[in-house]
Amino acid sequence: MSDLSLPVASAPSVPTFRFSVAETVKHVVLILGALIVLLPFYVMISYSLKSPAEIIQGTGGFFGAQEAFRDEYCMKLGKAAADCMVTPVIYNYTTAFEKAPLLRYLFNGVVVTATIFLLQVAVALPCSYALAKLRFWGREAVFGLVLFCLLIPVHAIALPLYIGLAKLGLTNTYAALVIPWTISVFGIFLMRQFFMTVPDDLIDAARMDGMSEFSIIWNVMLPTAIPALLAFAIFSVVAHWNDYFWPRIVITGNRDLFTPPLGLREFKGDVDGDNFGPMMATATIIVAPLIVAFLIAQRRFIEGITLSGMK
Amino acid sequence: MPAIRLRSIEKSFGDTPVLNAIDLTIEAGEFLTLVGPSGCGKSTLLRILAGLEAPSAGSVVIGDRTVDGVRAADRNLAMVFQSYALYPHLTIAQNMMTPLRMRDLGFAGRLPLVGPLIARDTYRAMRAQVEETAKILRIEALLDRKPGQLSGGQRQRAALGRAMVRKPVAFLMDEPLSNLDAALRIHMRAELAELHRSLKTTFVYVTHDQAEALTMSDRMAVMMDGHILQLGAPDEVYNHPHEIRVAEFVGAPKINLLPGEVDGAGHARCDGVVLSRVATGAPSDKVTIGLRPEHLAVADKGEAGALTGRLVHRENLGSDLYLHLAVRDGAHRMVVRATPQECFHLPLGDIVRFVRKRGEALVFGADGKRLQLSPIEHTAVPEVA
Amino acid sequence: MPRTMAHWWFVGPALFLMVAIFLLPIGIAGALSFSDYSLGSAGASWVGFENYEKLLTSSTYEKMFGATFRYVFVVVPLSVGLGLGAALLISATKSFADLYKTIYFLPVMAALIAMAIVWEFAFHPTIGIVNATLERGCGTVLEGWGWYAAGCADGFPLWLTDRDYAIWVVAFIGVWQGFGFNMVLYLAGLTSVPRELYQAAEMDGAKSGWDRFRLVTWPMLGPTTVFVVTISFIRSFQVFDTVEAFYPQGGGPSKSVYVIMFAIYEKAIQQNLMGIGAALTVVFLAFVMVLTLAQRRLVERKVHYT
Repeated sequence: MSDLSLPVASAPSVPTFRFSVAETVKHVVLILGALIVLLPFYVMISYSLKSPAEIIQGTGGFFGAQEAFRDEYCMKLGKAAADCMVTPVIYNYTTAFEKAPLLRYLFNGVVVTATIFLLQVAVALPCSYALAKLRFWGREAVFGLVLFCLLIPVHAIALPLYIGLAKLGLTNTYAALVIPWTISVFGIFLMRQFFMTVPDDLIDAARMDGMSEFSIIWNVMLPTAIPALLAFAIFSVVAHWNDYFWPRIVITGNRDLFTPPLGLREFKGDVDGDNFGPMMATATIIVAPLIVAFLIAQRRFIEGITLSGMK
Repeated sequence: MPAIRLRSIEKSFGDTPVLNAIDLTIEAGEFLTLVGPSGCGKSTLLRILAGLEAPSAGSVVIGDRTVDGVRAADRNLAMVFQSYALYPHLTIAQNMMTPLRMRDLGFAGRLPLVGPLIARDTYRAMRAQVEETAKILRIEALLDRKPGQLSGGQRQRAALGRAMVRKPVAFLMDEPLSNLDAALRIHMRAELAELHRSLKTTFVYVTHDQAEALTMSDRMAVMMDGHILQLGAPDEVYNHPHEIRVAEFVGAPKINLLPGEVDGAGHARCDGVVLSRVATGAPSDKVTIGLRPEHLAVADKGEAGALTGRLVHRENLGSDLYLHLAVRDGAHRMVVRATPQECFHLPLGDIVRFVRKRGEALVFGADGKRLQLSPIEHTAVPEVA
Repeated sequence: MPRTMAHWWFVGPALFLMVAIFLLPIGIAGALSFSDYSLGSAGASWVGFENYEKLLTSSTYEKMFGATFRYVFVVVPLSVGLGLGAALLISATKSFADLYKTIYFLPVMAALIAMAIVWEFAFHPTIGIVNATLERGCGTVLEGWGWYAAGCADGFPLWLTDRDYAIWVVAFIGVWQGFGFNMVLYLAGLTSVPRELYQAAEMDGAKSGWDRFRLVTWPMLGPTTVFVVTISFIRSFQVFDTVEAFYPQGGGPSKSVYVIMFAIYEKAIQQNLMGIGAALTVVFLAFVMVLTLAQRRLVERKVHYT
């Protein structure tokens, strides 16, 4: 019934011109902020399109002049100058894929992120269902344990986990990348809160139909939990695709197992003057998937983060 | 001079008109109620008066000044909201001090810690004012508690206190009793009316409950679909509604409406029974005759001029008993008031004969407007004063 | 309720993993912190509080605490403040709100390591865009500002390789990356402030935006603020990506960016000194747990009104 007119800045009696001063000032400030926020994105994409000379001199606008330049490395390999003229954007992006096995890294990223998420769901879903809907001895204790573990930042347990994995000889494996993340207490907490809002009748009806507890989870609870799962998925995928700390610790020798952040870091490690372009191209490729997904589904992302955060 | 004048107020949200050329004059010191069903625009009108919304057209005059460009904070009005809108993080005393602080303290006085020291005298005066108001409302004991610790009725009083404390030109109330339970609501109706009498300030009250409007107001404005259908004292609106919608809205239980016809002589008949006589007019067979339940009674044996109906339901409220009758073969329902002694033995399904024992029958023309009744004469109608 | 044992199958894996991945490692870290263990060595000996003593006395760790606290106490207020400011501004504009929200949230989505490398590039003393833009302002009215004039004359700072600026640049990147997240949380909090309170404030005479903020907005954002501050604290204590990417060895120009997470990495992984690494982990854990518990207390006591 109540009207939701925005009571903040302009009282209704202030005449609202098209260009009110207050509104303009707000936009100016927001735009300045946006410029600073977007600066590194601009730099990253722009430099991934430019030749080394343009990067060093800071010329060429956003897209770079796209004039062919001479690839020094190719010269070193002894080829003729004419064969070594390349357009910057093609050079940058192809080098990004050639100099280091970027495709492999991307593949690793996908595999690791997906595996982690699926395992997290497999562990968290039944547990949160049990905590929300089943009565059993020790339920409060288990939930208390979940709450306690929520207090523990994952970085704090990195070291002992690393030692343990090293002792088991599991460093430099996919297992090492995935195992510590299979338990997501945050996921358990989130799903439990969600399940508590699901009416019991639904579950009782399924029981009356003769479903086992196990199949109730996968056939009844899973479909209803999709919104919460989506929020959790966003949270998990973003966190683990971008994770640098844990892979850095645990993958020490085997390049084939690098995740995208590690790959970029390695690239930086042997960067010299000519390779700023390809490095920026690599960065763009690594950052692009999540950014594009975000741009397509902004509402969902922001809702998901809000949901996770407010819980 | 009238306290408030609303001139040709119009309001549309996008393409939807909500208020249509409302003209309203509110006298100083009166208790005026805007009453109507949900969506009729009464809350919007109140908010336009408060200054929380701007009208699409028209102007608002408070006292002798036109306040169209003036923001709500400067209009010297106070508002009590349906949800009380008390600041949850402040004590009741602090809540009540807020309007005084905003008005009487300069920037220095309002600084968080040093303010009270700088403007010590002003603070003391404000505090005294708050306590005096709290005494009137009998909430002195609650001054140091926060709204979350109070009951609904107590919060209501606190919200009233916050409005009263700065002695505004008028109090605006937006369904303040709606969130209270039934018994408390009835109690608060009397209290608000008494408060109005003692303060002698203008009250502008918005509600959808016609009982509140009838019991508390000096004048009430019945609104529907963005129009004021009738403005007048409660008695007037109840006994002489201008049109059928007003008659239906005001009065509980709802007025009984029967289709009828008027002949050349002005007799208004339903089912052959003459129920009333209108002053003038062409004969018509599309009139509606309104009979209030409390004006009807079960007919004595052999009494003339009675209508009949079949008893389908009985409502025993203890003090009153209402018989629900299906008349005209079930096409219409009527409610007749009776005493328990009269009717307790009547079984459901029986045919009941009833007559108008008191009051007037209201006759409405095809356009819904009430037709004038002819003065009492010796006619065939059992006229009752 | 059915009496099955099914729940143990459901809870079992989670329970086992919680013990194995959370509780056990904490215990091990605690135990190791009292030893001088190294990975690959046969055994370890008990050294009592020696590791902790080192933490409290050695100048390296003094720098570590200095760097960490400088970072945390810059990043948290700024990212919370900017998050709140952005949320307030965006909720007060009539148009393009979604666009601004999206832009400000982008840094949160982008891999920090990647964006850090780009920022490093932008802050490069000679070919970076920051100094290039600053150079362009030379010869204009901006030279009225002393620092700017000095920069035009002698050259602008080296930023990440400069002992006086390095930690602040790293902190800036941390703020850049984090404030969008806080903004989203604050936007959600703002929508839950009851509209009628603003109307009541208006009727009470609160005319300026500042009055409304103090009377309604800030108090009603209490729970959100506590949450945002806690999250920001925890995230900033955990900073690692930027530091390791910029300064793979040594923690910055004269260790000015030697934050605690990096110290753990250096000591435990690079130098294989598990004992002291464990001690650092325990200290880190203590900070975070104290913070989180303090948040819980605050929320329960001061900030819940209804």
